[in-house]
Amino acid sequence: VRCQHYPPLRALQASAALRRASDEHTKEPLTSSSQQHFDSPPAGHQPEQEPQGPHPSYTGQGGQESEDYESEEQLQHRILTAALEFVPEHGWTAEAIAEGAKSLGLSVAAAGMFHSDGSELILHFVSECNTKLSKLLEKEQKLVQLGEAEKKPIDEFLRDAVEARLKMLIPYIEKWPQALSVLLLPRNIPSSLNLLTSMIDDIWHYAGDQSTDFNWYTRRAVLTGIYNTTELVMMQDSSPGFEDTWRFLENRVADAMTMSNTASQVQSTGEAVVQGLMGAAVTVSNAETSRAVR
Amino acid sequence: VYQVFETVAKKYDIMNDSMTLGIHRVWKDILVHKMNPCPGTLLLDVAGGTGDIAFRFLNYVRSVRQRQLQRKLKHHQNLSWQEIFESYQKDKSNSLGDSQVVVCDINREMLKVGKQKAQHLGYSEGLSWVLGNAEELPFDDDKFDVYTIAFGIRNVTRIDLALQEAYRVLKPGGRFLCLEFSHVSNPLLSRLYDLYSFQVIPVLGEVIAGDWRSYQYLVESIRQFPPQEELKAMIEDAGFFKVDYENLNFGIVAIHSGFKL
Repeated sequence: VRCQHYPPLRALQASAALRRASDEHTKEPLTSSSQQHFDSPPAGHQPEQEPQGPHPSYTGQGGQESEDYESEEQLQHRILTAALEFVPEHGWTAEAIAEGAKSLGLSVAAAGMFHSDGSELILHFVSECNTKLSKLLEKEQKLVQLGEAEKKPIDEFLRDAVEARLKMLIPYIEKWPQALSVLLLPRNIPSSLNLLTSMIDDIWHYAGDQSTDFNWYTRRAVLTGIYNTTELVMMQDSSPGFEDTWRFLENRVADAMTMSNTASQVQSTGEAVVQGLMGAAVTVSNAETSRAVR
Repeated sequence: VYQVFETVAKKYDIMNDSMTLGIHRVWKDILVHKMNPCPGTLLLDVAGGTGDIAFRFLNYVRSVRQRQLQRKLKHHQNLSWQEIFESYQKDKSNSLGDSQVVVCDINREMLKVGKQKAQHLGYSEGLSWVLGNAEELPFDDDKFDVYTIAFGIRNVTRIDLALQEAYRVLKPGGRFLCLEFSHVSNPLLSRLYDLYSFQVIPVLGEVIAGDWRSYQYLVESIRQFPPQEELKAMIEDAGFFKVDYENLNFGIVAIHSGFKL
């Protein structure tokens, strides 16, 4: 009985919205559900019309529901992206998200859609960085395949990939320790760990790793350790252009390379992981005490 | 409904405290915390008669604003004393950060009590009192950041109209929050709750406010009010997205939230 009740109401709203959005070309991209389109709509393009466009049946009429649900997610995506530019000033907080929503023409109350500690913003940022890294590595791989570039030796490849990924943190480096401590909250650990492992996976994939034996695990663990420790060093690095960090990275990668040829491989993997965790714990406690002091 | 609240207005706060054993303050605090307003928010509190939500909102926003100012001052470490003094002066006059709350109620008596309370407690800025009907709000479209209705929506004859009005006056991205008595699913608790509601509350009403019937009406209206899921569906019907509810005290009270996207 309920289902019968809804459609006429929804159709009315939909047709009204359609008339409003008739001069907007955003109807097409929504049906084809391509993420790319929504990363670059011009900011002054009446943002509130976009999600109102495919209004019909949030509560379910099969195909239309998933379309609508997607536009909600896409709106959230846009708000978080817009919020990133306010992070240097406000930190990874609900305030930054509110400013982001305001910049899109929405009410500041829209920040209520997200958790009040800014977790989603950080996770969104990490996921965006990982995507950027993937695209970068893919581009490089294409160049190599086309013969326009030399294939890098493994240690250089890893070094460059980690450096490129960490460089994306530079605009937000002041508030990044805060973000790290939030990512280590029990609630966020599944998602943040997921993002971390898939990024490491990606790097190894583009490095040409085709192993199907135990090596797969050790390689991932080693690189995770390298990445985490380098990130932590970067937090405390005040040298020009972060050269201390890159030197540290170079040394760690070199260590990993030499160690991978010896039997102490398994042991060093464990050590690398433990190092990573210890470093993370130290950073969290530092971040917490410095936050408390402030 | 109008007459009920006319007689009830003066003793409203006292009755609230005694009926809910003071927990209603906690509920209202939770509502404002959930709202998490930042300075510059424009709030419409409907059926907010005696101003409970409005005062909490102003307090919250004021403390957030203070923290913001403190943070800004810390960044001003390198300025001269004169510059710091000037910036402090400028910000001091803006202690609410342009946040405002409009309290709207259908009942003049309730508004009167609210205004007196505000004066008594020292709330002077950022507050307005408007007489209006939730089913037909005297405001323009797309005006408010947040719309709240605490323990008021069950007294509205046509809830769907009130929800539509809420949708209309909210800005895109605005939030709808509703705090209301709801259904307890736990059977044991439900029996105790029923016992308390039907035996104790009307008696309290007679003793404290001298009005048995109004409180009998109150308890009955709570029972007749749609349960959580149904209210959620009605809110979605009005066009809100990301509609969700949070049960407080096992369902005695529920906060529904929706966004105009």
